[in-house]
Amino acid sequence: MKHGALAILPLALGAAIYGFAFGILAAQMGFPWWGVAIMSSAVHAGSSQIVAVEQFSGGEAILGAALAGAALNLRYIGIVASLSDILRGVPLRLRLLAIHITGDENWALTMAERAKSPGIGASFLIGSGIVMISVWTGSTSLGALVGSALPDLERFGLGFAFTAAFIAMARGMWRGPQNALPWCGSFLVTGILVLSGVPKAYAIVGGALCGITLSMVLRRRNRCAP
Amino acid sequence: MTTSHWALIAILAIAAFSIRLVGLIAGDVIRKSRLAPLLDDLPGVIIVSLVASSLAGQPVLTWCAAGAALVTAWLTNNVILTMLVGVAVFAGATLIGI
Repeated sequence: MKHGALAILPLALGAAIYGFAFGILAAQMGFPWWGVAIMSSAVHAGSSQIVAVEQFSGGEAILGAALAGAALNLRYIGIVASLSDILRGVPLRLRLLAIHITGDENWALTMAERAKSPGIGASFLIGSGIVMISVWTGSTSLGALVGSALPDLERFGLGFAFTAAFIAMARGMWRGPQNALPWCGSFLVTGILVLSGVPKAYAIVGGALCGITLSMVLRRRNRCAP
Repeated sequence: MTTSHWALIAILAIAAFSIRLVGLIAGDVIRKSRLAPLLDDLPGVIIVSLVASSLAGQPVLTWCAAGAALVTAWLTNNVILTMLVGVAVFAGATLIGI
C-alpha cells in the first residue's frame, strides 16, 4: 500500500492544481469549503463535479445537472471492469472502497506498474487511491477556502504532466505489434470525435469502444488462422 | 448551503458510485465469459484514448512535447522521467515563444 501511495505523489501534485481551481468555482456557486469537501470525498470524480457545478450555476434542474456530470464518468464502467482480476479475492468491503477511490491516475499507474511486475495488485491500487482522494478533497476544499490566489501554473506545463504520464503508462502496457491497430483506432476515433465537437468524456468512451472492437476482431482472426 | 446544494451532491455521489458498481459487476461477468481476454486489452485502449483527447486540437507546441514524452517513454519506460521531460519541453517552448 505504501508503494502505491509514494508512486502516485507526482500525479497527485497535478491533480491538486485542478482541485484548487474547482474549489474556487464551487465556492462561487455557493458551496462552503466543507460542502466542497463532502462533495469531493463522496463523489470523487473531477470532470463530473466540474460539469455538474457548472450546469447547476447555469440554472439547470438539479437532476439534470447531476446526470450531466455523472454521464461524463461512463468510462469508469470500462476502467473498473478492467480491475476485475486485481480485485479478485478481495473482501467486498475493500472492493467497494477500491472502486470508489479509483481515479484515472491511480488506475492507469496501477495497470502500468502491473504490466511490469505482476505482483502489483489491490494494495497498490488502494494505497495510491487513498492519496489521490485525500489530495483531491484537500485541494478542492482549500480552493474554496482561499480563493483565486494561485498563479497560472497551466502555462508552465503542469496540465501537460498528465498527458506525459499517460503516454509513459501506455508505453508500459505495450505488448507488441498486436496492440498497434486497436491503439491507432482508439487514438484516431477519439481525436476525430473531439475535433467534431463531441465532449472529451464521450470521445474517450467512443475511442475505447472502437479499440476494443478492433482488438476483438484481431483475436478472432488469429484464432481462425490456420 | 441550501437543499439544492445537498441534493446535487447526493444525486451525483449515487450516480458516480452506481457507474463504478456497474463496472465491477460487468468485469466479473466478462472475466467468466469467452470475452475475458478483452479485459487485458481494455486498459491500453482507454489510456490511448485519454492521450488522444488531451492532444486533439492542441497547438504544435503540445504535440512536440508529446513527441518528446513518447521518445522518453519508449527509451526509459519510466513515468516520472517522461513527465519531467514532457513538462520541461512544454515549459521551455512556451517561454521561448514557440
